[in-house]
Amino acid sequence: MAQNPAQRRYMRRMVVLSAAYIAAVMLASWLIPDDAAATPLTVAIALVPALATSGFIWAMARYVAELTDEYVRMLEIRKMLVATGLTLALASGWGILELFTTVPRVQLFYVFPVWCLGLAVGSLVNKVTIGDGGPCL
Amino acid sequence: MKNRLKVLRAERDWSQGDLAERLEVSRQSVNAIETGKYDPSLPLAFRIADLFGLPIEEIFLKE
Repeated sequence: MAQNPAQRRYMRRMVVLSAAYIAAVMLASWLIPDDAAATPLTVAIALVPALATSGFIWAMARYVAELTDEYVRMLEIRKMLVATGLTLALASGWGILELFTTVPRVQLFYVFPVWCLGLAVGSLVNKVTIGDGGPCL
Repeated sequence: MKNRLKVLRAERDWSQGDLAERLEVSRQSVNAIETGKYDPSLPLAFRIADLFGLPIEEIFLKE
């Protein structure tokens, strides 16, 4: 599927934000020693990469808002709903397991990557139910 | 919802891509509407009707 202007803008934003995220993670790793205490300074530095991840979410929201093709927008929103449902179900399920059993603790950091994997599942659901997986971003 | 989009398009010798370009949507959208997998919004249905010079009810039919 040829990219529309909204998809091109989304890709440009994601490239810039990804570069910023990698730079912020490297900077935080370099500045904060292992097992550093949570002081205002270490927290502030550690939160810089979170600005980039918040930027990813902003870019996705802008992408959906800027899509002029209502059918493609529906496919994308369906993907996001599947990803959200899957992530909430997995997070809640694992959280309950952690509460009652000795399963390994999963860091909250992994919620976002799991949601992104959920988008692929959403694309598969679109393909199976509508016959069209939607744009591959 | 059933529609006569494929017939109307064929009468004008337009491909799905031609119709998509005129409606400023993706070819996938035209295909999904034509095959009844997706019902367009009212604004898009009006754009389709305007393009073919027909009332909406002569393009989109009740089941």
